[in-house]
Amino acid sequence: MGDFPILTATLLCPALALLVTLLIPGRNGMAIKAANALCALLSVIFAAMIWVAYDRTVGGYQMLEVVPWVPTFGIDYRVAVDGVSVVLTMLTALVFFTGVLTMWTLETRVKEYFAFMAALVFGVFGVFFSLDIFAFFFFYEVAVLPMYPLIAVWGSTRKTYSAMKLTLYLMLGSALLFPGLIALFVYSGGQTWNLVEIAQSGAFSRETQIFLYPFLYVGFGILAGMFPFHGWSPTGHVAAPTAVSMLHAGVLMKLGAFGIFRIGMTVLPEGAEFWAPTFAVLATIGIVYGAFVAMRQTDFKYVIGFSSVSHMGIVLLGLNVWAMSRSDTAGLDGAVFQMFAHGIMTALFFSAVGFIYDQTHDRDIRHFGGLTSQVPVASSMFIVAALCGMGVPGFASFWAELLVFIAAIETFPVLGIAAIAGLIFTAAYVLRVLGKAMYGPRNPDWENLKDVTLWSVLPRAILVGVLLLFGFYPNLILDMIRSAGGGS
Amino acid sequence: MSTESLALALLIAPLVGSFLALVFFRRKHVIASGIVVASGLVSVIASAMLLFGAGHDVGAITARWFSIGDTPIEFGILLDGRTMIMGAVVALITLCIEVYSLSYMKHDEGRGRFFAFLALFAWSMLSFVYSSSLLQAFIFWELVGLASFFLIGFWYEKPSAVAAAKKAFIMTRIGDVGLFIGLILLFMTTGTLDIPAINTLFAGDGLPEGIAPGRIELIAALLFIGVIGKSAQFPLHTWLPDAMEGPTPVSALLHSATMVAAGVFLVTRFHGLFMNAQQTMEWMLWIAVGTAILSSTMAMVAKDMKRVLAFSSISQLGFMLMGLAAGSLFAGYFHLITHAFFKALLFLCAGAFIHHVGSNDLIAMGRAGAAKQMKLTTVALVIGGSALAGIPFLAGFFSKEQIIGSLPIGAKIGALFAAFLTAYYTFRMIFLIVRPNADSMAVEDEPAHAQHEDGHEHHGPAEPLAMLAPIILLAVGAAGAGYIGNWIGHKLHIEHIEHPSITEMAPAIVIAILGVVFAWLEFGRKGARQTGFVSKIPSMQTLFERRWYLDEIYNVVFVRPVVWFASLCIGAENKGFDNGADAVAHGTYKGGRMVARSHSGRLQFYIGSAIVVVAALALTLGFRNGGGAG
Repeated sequence: MGDFPILTATLLCPALALLVTLLIPGRNGMAIKAANALCALLSVIFAAMIWVAYDRTVGGYQMLEVVPWVPTFGIDYRVAVDGVSVVLTMLTALVFFTGVLTMWTLETRVKEYFAFMAALVFGVFGVFFSLDIFAFFFFYEVAVLPMYPLIAVWGSTRKTYSAMKLTLYLMLGSALLFPGLIALFVYSGGQTWNLVEIAQSGAFSRETQIFLYPFLYVGFGILAGMFPFHGWSPTGHVAAPTAVSMLHAGVLMKLGAFGIFRIGMTVLPEGAEFWAPTFAVLATIGIVYGAFVAMRQTDFKYVIGFSSVSHMGIVLLGLNVWAMSRSDTAGLDGAVFQMFAHGIMTALFFSAVGFIYDQTHDRDIRHFGGLTSQVPVASSMFIVAALCGMGVPGFASFWAELLVFIAAIETFPVLGIAAIAGLIFTAAYVLRVLGKAMYGPRNPDWENLKDVTLWSVLPRAILVGVLLLFGFYPNLILDMIRSAGGGS
Repeated sequence: MSTESLALALLIAPLVGSFLALVFFRRKHVIASGIVVASGLVSVIASAMLLFGAGHDVGAITARWFSIGDTPIEFGILLDGRTMIMGAVVALITLCIEVYSLSYMKHDEGRGRFFAFLALFAWSMLSFVYSSSLLQAFIFWELVGLASFFLIGFWYEKPSAVAAAKKAFIMTRIGDVGLFIGLILLFMTTGTLDIPAINTLFAGDGLPEGIAPGRIELIAALLFIGVIGKSAQFPLHTWLPDAMEGPTPVSALLHSATMVAAGVFLVTRFHGLFMNAQQTMEWMLWIAVGTAILSSTMAMVAKDMKRVLAFSSISQLGFMLMGLAAGSLFAGYFHLITHAFFKALLFLCAGAFIHHVGSNDLIAMGRAGAAKQMKLTTVALVIGGSALAGIPFLAGFFSKEQIIGSLPIGAKIGALFAAFLTAYYTFRMIFLIVRPNADSMAVEDEPAHAQHEDGHEHHGPAEPLAMLAPIILLAVGAAGAGYIGNWIGHKLHIEHIEHPSITEMAPAIVIAILGVVFAWLEFGRKGARQTGFVSKIPSMQTLFERRWYLDEIYNVVFVRPVVWFASLCIGAENKGFDNGADAVAHGTYKGGRMVARSHSGRLQFYIGSAIVVVAALALTLGFRNGGGAG
């Protein structure tokens, strides 16, 4: 690949999408969509190239590019990837692409919508690539901020309330992060924001680490749907339009978990270890609690929203297990695998629900029945996502959960068993939705629903294919993640 | 063909068949069913060639698939006696049922989907049987559960079918959690999940070095929890009777060679390990005995033919586990094989009667004259029923004798009692169908009507060839499978099989005949009242009919608390977290408003505040300094 700055090129895909979107007149919606789809496709191609180009035998950070940004404060544009970010870059590109295709039927304010979405993706890529803590935080805020207008303008169900709630929660997270990150800069000598140098500076005593770590964990954790600060997430999912829900649950929540891993656990390993039991308990509570709340929800999207809380709990549990005993990488492998699997799965979930909602403007589970016979293909997409959510083998999340549970049982036996027992309740809430809406007597109101067309099935089929691919042959992704295991 | 390609063909054929049928030919029923039957045929031929051609254990064909931490996990196809016999039986019975379904499901609008799921079921079960790693086995174990979920809930517009499918999945998943934890512990203890490696480790007498007996007990107990769920043993058996909500061919498959057989097969697979956990085996023995008796009592009063058979499956699975728990791998395995034949046969007969009569009710079947109109099926029913009852010299007789012969005395009495009940309720079922009479006092629950399970009107021959051929084939198996015991033992590498002597066999024979005679007196002879002795004690009758109220008890003890707790969580979510967050937000907002009010622009207020603050500061500092000076 030579010196081609592939990471910058990937980062520029959504930036280009944003620019083109702003240049095309708003009335020309089709052109905007096509331009976005092309840019998104390009980012998928670049992500695949990164995947191939990354040398797994060497591991560590690769494809480094450095450009000074604000030299006075030691801020650089410093991007590189390790196995974890390669995987998450692929996830983002896939969800971006399928998200654009899913919103093909959008009619209102097309231009603004796609502009915000491209900005969001731009930020996400930036976070996954940045090795400079300041740039990391900058991109992080770029990714988070478009959520407010995206929900408040294009959303449904109490959209202003949800948008405000989400923003306030995330601002709370940022309020914790900002001093935490500045403290990292100051304690390490105030010369550089370079993550690797700060991590190796040895400037943080055990006490300092223990003091600083919760700022970072909770600050990022809020975005990862960490119990008990998860309240924004289901509400936000419900209110957001389909593609935003996809990006939001599929990618954005991963930023939080990624931040914990990339900055918190890398720079403050002793702090992470000290707090791991506490946060592992919270994560396990999140797993079980999310499942129980999902069991009684009546809105499709609320069920998925709380399932996200539950599934992200598995990610956080895996990360904390790894922080506790780093010699065993199974926890980290599982956590990152779960980020990927959950991202694809939730995107599919929201995409499938969005398809039904677009036609019915109804999301109440009780108002549906026998959808399998009314829209067989569309409901089979939902069923696939549901099976993946239950951790059925053959789908990607099975392996992810397996790894996390194995690691958890070794490190925190009680939590591990509780988390595994949570599978029963997961099955209960997933089957409840399937039984009520997908199966059962059909509701005559929806006899005339149209099933997916070849074009609208494409994004969903891609997601299903990815889930099955990694579900059948997990080593494809596991090798990639594992090469990062020693990244810290 | 090489062994590898045969083994691969046998496993991949049903997967491909299922995929093609589901994705491309869901609405082209003829193509879908054709593909699936063809794939079933491939599996049968390949598995038979492996079984008879290979002749010896090939070992495992493996490939690295996954890794846990730094430990690579290999998946593969294990070819030894245990897998090859079971695999061939699974493939054969699946094919029989697929052929049968060609006719049985002829008028169903979803039969393309039906065949796709049948093939998925076959693929999962075959892959489970041939697995070379416990993790791989667990994966397919779960997929077997998934396939049966789809098939039990096949008529998904029927709420009862959906509920039954859900119940089956969740009840077995409770067991799966145990199995899953056991698997992880086993991996942590031995560092491998490779089945041959584990079997070698536990092959000798005594425990391998460095493994505590308590640890093995724990692992065995956890694995056994999985078996309890899958093989429908007390207390997780309640899903199986409901599972008959699926089409009858599904029940035939689910009760014989797939799904419930998976649990027992797992115990045979890890018999060496289980033998090192004496405490767990003791538990297994008594749970199995208890389950066999408990479910027999339910079978004695059931009027729904499929339900009677479902209860009998639970009880026969209990018999298999008894044998295994008592230490006889051969007895349990042998009964697993013979049971697969006669139970599949019985369900297919039941399907034929139901198809013809339009009712599941035994009494209605008898009164509709089904036995007279369907002579061959009736003969097959009697063969299958006799095999189930342990009548000499049919398949079930030999394997059951092996089991009873292996039991310690206490369990033997329980097993004999269960065997007596089995003979009684089996022949009750047969006599109700075959010998209806005018003096009968029996009340039918569901009258005969010319409607099929799926609601279509039934026309055409009572015994179409596609249904009859599998029935005859399985009847031959049910009659003859008992004579291949020595060959099975040889394949399992059991050097010496102890055949019980005739004096040892006598009690079981007498018991079985007594059961038949008793059934004859109450149901078979001319002028029999056909109500059964249980009905003389109404409270017992109700207890058995309501299945010992276990569903109701579970509902109160487990389901309601879970729902209650879920409501509690949702209350906490809405009232606690949401309102709490809102309150904080509103509080901040109000606080802001209040502070904003102080910015009134009135100079007096500013000066006044300034004076107060300065005074307060001065006083505090003054005190400090004063204190220091004094």
